[in-house]
Amino acid sequence: MKKLKAIWNKKNTGALIVKFLAFTILVAMVDFVTGNILSHFYSKQISGWEYPTKYSIEDTREDLLIFGASRAQEQYKPICFEDSLKISAYNVGKTGMSIPYHYGVFKCILKRYTPKIIILDFENQQFLKADKNYETLSCLLPFYKGHPELQPLLQLRGPFEKYKMISAAYPYNSLLFKIIIGNTRLKNNESLNDKGYIALTRQMDQPLHTVNFSTPYEIDSIKVTMYKYMIEECKKRNIKLFVVCSPYYINQVGTDVSMEMGKSIAAKNNIDFIDYSKKELFLKSPQLFDDTVHVNTIGATTFSNMLASDIKKRLAIK
Amino acid sequence: MIFNSIAFIVFFVIAVLLYYCLPLRFRWLWIVATGIFFYCYANPTFIIVPLFIAMVTYFAGLKMQNAATEKKANLIYLLAIITNIGLLVFFKYTNFFTNTFVDVFNIFSSSDKKISNSFLLNIAAPLGISYITFQAIGYLIEVKKGNHQAEKHLGHFTAYLLFFPKIIAGPVERAHNFLPQLKTIKPLQYDDISIGCKQFIWGLFKKLVVADRLSIYVDAVYNNYEHHSGITLFVTAVFYLFQMYADFSGYTDMALGLARIMGFNLTQNFNRPLFAKSVTEFWRKWHISLSTWFADYFYNPIAINKRDWGKWSIVYASFTTFIVLGFWHGANWTFIVFGAMQGFLLTIEYFSRKFRKDLRKKIPAWLNNISGILFTCGYFALSLVFFRANSVTDALQIIKRIVHFNGPFFTDNLSSLLFCILGIGFIYLVEFKKEFYNNLFTISNNKNWLVRNAYHCLLLMIILLAGVFDGGQFIYFQF
Repeated sequence: MKKLKAIWNKKNTGALIVKFLAFTILVAMVDFVTGNILSHFYSKQISGWEYPTKYSIEDTREDLLIFGASRAQEQYKPICFEDSLKISAYNVGKTGMSIPYHYGVFKCILKRYTPKIIILDFENQQFLKADKNYETLSCLLPFYKGHPELQPLLQLRGPFEKYKMISAAYPYNSLLFKIIIGNTRLKNNESLNDKGYIALTRQMDQPLHTVNFSTPYEIDSIKVTMYKYMIEECKKRNIKLFVVCSPYYINQVGTDVSMEMGKSIAAKNNIDFIDYSKKELFLKSPQLFDDTVHVNTIGATTFSNMLASDIKKRLAIK
Repeated sequence: MIFNSIAFIVFFVIAVLLYYCLPLRFRWLWIVATGIFFYCYANPTFIIVPLFIAMVTYFAGLKMQNAATEKKANLIYLLAIITNIGLLVFFKYTNFFTNTFVDVFNIFSSSDKKISNSFLLNIAAPLGISYITFQAIGYLIEVKKGNHQAEKHLGHFTAYLLFFPKIIAGPVERAHNFLPQLKTIKPLQYDDISIGCKQFIWGLFKKLVVADRLSIYVDAVYNNYEHHSGITLFVTAVFYLFQMYADFSGYTDMALGLARIMGFNLTQNFNRPLFAKSVTEFWRKWHISLSTWFADYFYNPIAINKRDWGKWSIVYASFTTFIVLGFWHGANWTFIVFGAMQGFLLTIEYFSRKFRKDLRKKIPAWLNNISGILFTCGYFALSLVFFRANSVTDALQIIKRIVHFNGPFFTDNLSSLLFCILGIGFIYLVEFKKEFYNNLFTISNNKNWLVRNAYHCLLLMIILLAGVFDGGQFIYFQF
């Protein structure tokens, strides 16, 4: 006991506890102020990289929405769908994202209103198990407190995410410059004018490559569940859902496991799965592509017009 | 379990609280227990080798000291050294030697007799195997020389090798520095906790805000270097220099800070190497515990052994030491070239000492300092191209593109690039102040409580806002 007392010297320990508490209070105060300032400016964004995410989650009112990753954001021109289907459209796709992001945005939107048509871009390896798909959800962290429906999803980022969110500044990690730019007109985002669509302008001049897609990989069952949830929710709310695989400039050999699963789940639920990945027009036209997996702006117009008229026909039949 | 993970922070808080609750005579036991847990958390089988090394080295030290004859002592010493080096070579270099053998065999054999390298071993080296073996070897050499008494307490010796803050990234701590601290009673001291926490926060800043941020850009470019321009590759090479420094010194700062919180003063491993004015000075400031280890147990014995060669003994010792030091970093020819490049410039600097001294008299000091710093950093950044590349051919291709210095600059994520530049600027500013104006003023150790704590609070906020919390891995983890 004497020894313990020597180790936990009263004066030392008391000073340590008081100073530690004072420092903790200082950090908590600065964190609270910083977090709230950033939250204010985040919500006031008028342009920039993060503005489309904010718009997608909190401001969309359009009848037709396009979900997906870069192959949605950079390939589907909302204006083509508006012209053809005579309804308002917006592209809520975001580069680098996967099903978990689409699912999160989908849930937030459905909480506000029910769109008439949803297009979900489906790509090869869509259900591939990859941790980075959850890490990239960080762009949804600013909505954690205001959108309880996102909380279970964002907690998939890691076992400690719930505790990290005690900090008011943490949700804005890596967003400082994006928020600054978003509150200026320094970056007049082209997606503002193009309703979420971002144009790619390069033209490919490479020959067609052959890629074998039959290599097996681990499937992320959470992603499959999210996909099924989106389908079921659309059916429940009477939203016309079209799952679309957009064009590739790749000669595909074998069948991708995710693609097969995606098609089968859609078929079981009577959902249209429209596959443009092997359309001859695109496979023979490298000039319509920016790279092997993204069409350029000319290709996007061609593809969007084709898809819009296809959807129009299918809606007429139904 | 890396230091910047929440799992580690939880583990550390529990470990420290219980550590200070224990009386001195049981603390070694807690250090051993936490060390074992640290290994087992990564992989339960990893603990076997460090415990074996601890036992072999401990008993060898005692037997060597108490040996009846010099011959017997030498034999025990040799066996213990061979065991340590053997384990290191087995875990780190078996596949390299096998691969090299297969390649050489295939060059000289006809096409139908070629062999494949399918029999390569699929084994993971235990965490920090290099650091443990180097500490064990250093201990054996000192005991053999009679500079230190062999440690009599097996628990204390095991605690020395398994002290968890230095397992992953060192420093290569000397037994005569660590063991006396373990035996001295030290109550909980405010200064230890305060200084330790500050050093940990600074290390965390370097690691998360600078190193991990830079790694996003560096990986994006180096993993597809054939698609990038000379200008981009040049900037990436510079970024990689800062990434390496921030990563390694940041992790070391965290280790030193954690040790200090537990009342231990470990060896400083970095002394602002980016302000070194020559490669010779650079290696006195970079990874100090390893370079002094090599100087004491490798370079000096070689230079003394070959002293009848005159100046060439220095050349021979420099080249051999740095090639081995390069090879220590990994089983790849790229690391050997990296080491040879250091040896080469040290030789040049050795032979040009008089010329450089005369030159220094003729040019202003500031010009000499700036040119020296720029040249040293530039040369080290160039050698790091080999360090980072997957093969020597890749490294040469990258250098070839850098030399052409043309093409567009890659800015995929402008926001991330801004964070990179500001992070580098902040580190440079802090270290510049410490290097040249250390006595002028201090913010981090200011007498005013509010000033110094506001500074550390600011660092924490920057970490929260600009740190990379996903996917970062410590570069020296693999060594």
